[in-house]
Amino acid sequence: MDTPLIEIKNLSKTYSTAAGDFPALKNISMTVAKGEFLGVVGKSGAGKSTLLNMINGVDELTSGEVLVHTDGQRVSVHGMSEDEKAQWRGRTMGVVYQSFQLLPMLTLVENITLPMDLSGDFKPRQARERAIELLRLVEIEEHADKLPAFISGGQQQRVAIARALANDPDILVADEPTGSLDSVTADHIFDVFSHLVSDRGKTIIMVTHDMGLKSRFTRSLTLVDGELAVKTEADDKPKRSRTK
Amino acid sequence: MTKPTHKKAPHLSSGKARTPHKAAPRRVHDAVPDAIIEMRGIIKRFSNAAGEFTVLKGVDLIINRGEFVSIVGKSGSGKSTLLNMITGIDHPSDGQVIVNHNDIYTGVSESARSKWRGKNLGIVFQFFQLLPMLTLLENVMLPMDYVDMYDFDERPQRAMELLKLVGLEQFANKLPVLVSTGQQQLAAIARAMACDPPLLIADEPTGNLDTRSADTIIQLFEHFVEQGKTVVMVTHDPSLTSRTHRNIILSDGELIDETISRSLPQLRHRHMLEFTKIAERRTYQPHETILSQDQRVDNFFMIRKGEVEVVLQKARSKETILSRLGADQFFGDIELLRGGKSIANVRAGNDEVEVLMLPRADFVRVMEESPITAEAVGKIVQKRLEEHRMADPRKTRR
Repeated sequence: MDTPLIEIKNLSKTYSTAAGDFPALKNISMTVAKGEFLGVVGKSGAGKSTLLNMINGVDELTSGEVLVHTDGQRVSVHGMSEDEKAQWRGRTMGVVYQSFQLLPMLTLVENITLPMDLSGDFKPRQARERAIELLRLVEIEEHADKLPAFISGGQQQRVAIARALANDPDILVADEPTGSLDSVTADHIFDVFSHLVSDRGKTIIMVTHDMGLKSRFTRSLTLVDGELAVKTEADDKPKRSRTK
Repeated sequence: MTKPTHKKAPHLSSGKARTPHKAAPRRVHDAVPDAIIEMRGIIKRFSNAAGEFTVLKGVDLIINRGEFVSIVGKSGSGKSTLLNMITGIDHPSDGQVIVNHNDIYTGVSESARSKWRGKNLGIVFQFFQLLPMLTLLENVMLPMDYVDMYDFDERPQRAMELLKLVGLEQFANKLPVLVSTGQQQLAAIARAMACDPPLLIADEPTGNLDTRSADTIIQLFEHFVEQGKTVVMVTHDPSLTSRTHRNIILSDGELIDETISRSLPQLRHRHMLEFTKIAERRTYQPHETILSQDQRVDNFFMIRKGEVEVVLQKARSKETILSRLGADQFFGDIELLRGGKSIANVRAGNDEVEVLMLPRADFVRVMEESPITAEAVGKIVQKRLEEHRMADPRKTRR
């Protein structure tokens, strides 16, 4: 078997609160293979977002290990310093959240060039060309020079996805990315994700409380009270984007 | 992609010339001296498949430096559009917007406006709009990078000071996802103040927050106002409007006269707007009679400026001053609601008085449709009649 892209070993996360210790994740072990579109489903408070924050190293774990293999390197996410982690994350993982968080005073294309400007890896013209290409990928290229206020919520989420891809990460993590969208629009966003997996070779981990979406993932895991409730529901062949 | 340490982004600037021949915002010579925002005849039309409709129908508005102003209105009344005219997110179809004495639209390119805005306006949005991949500190530094303000090495320190001001210094190196929504909004406010703008514009800044976080945000705004900043906030929360100096109400794309909304605050917005349109403004010189005792009263009066004296004329030219009424108080109510002639003289005080007058028929009709306002006015009527009786016990008419 190929080396998994992500290996999570005996991961636990406990929050200390005034009311006492709260175990958000309890001894999670799992792997994610390259090219998976993995859904992490569960009720509110089950630990889904915490798990994402452990995978991308945004939050600190209490015990266990998260290993990520990219570019021929095996990285222990929580073994890095904050600086190293931020740099690694910027190259390796794009993030998409429920609220799109586009800067309202910048056009769509500027919103996407911003992370490229910040990373300093692209020259201005290169950055713009790449941003336009990413907007094309999420099919809203014609709005490139508009401000976010003038496009719909679903379109804004597409821009946020394009922004997450700005520095060409191998992995996308998405936390309830369709949570504030209607079902038709949400479906289109799923198509975008499916396409990124099947045609662009990305690996996507998506958190959702909507159990009805399970069929759209190549595999899904259910979290209950910080534990993996059921064994993985393997689905042999990755699903193709519905629109194509 | 990004380092948590401050990294220079050399081409992160708004200076992309989209329309290079246009100039930066120009100073307006006849701008109102104390005004930080002046809107002159602002019209905004939108077209969609259903046709063209007008969202702002000729808005004239002055907001003075140092004011804390709330803007309210029902959904669709045009309040966010109005803010968008000030921030430049959208453009008026007609009219002039003067911010900080500069005409921000006439002959101004997008990029020049963007640059100008970065130094003059701080903007806060309902959903914070923090970049998820940057720490709070980096988010706060972003505008300084954008308009290239402050020395490069000074920026982290200034950002940290702002985070300290909003009580977030211990979270400076955290990503937005790890702090609460209230804290995200505080960081967004710190970012809005990054370039020390004189004016802070906030669109439903507490709309997504619990009451305690909302209170913290308003306290912070009050602090900025104490420091001489101007804060303009769109909100739908009535508990916040009581904390501002001024509350501007938009109804169906038009501004409601503030004397009317302050005099009769419980009236429905559509009635306020109707009154705004029919009210007649009149000025009286010091001591000039406005109503004479026993004169038939045909108007409801709201005081816009100055003070009036309500005087009871007794025999042999003796008079008793029953009360003095100031701005946003009204008179004529007793006579209109109970029918009849004026029970006292009403005259201007020592200064010029400006009133708004509503015709009797319109006032009575609206009162009949507005039980809450009618009850509030009724209570004042009772109180005034009581005072009148005590001052003049011989008279028991009506």
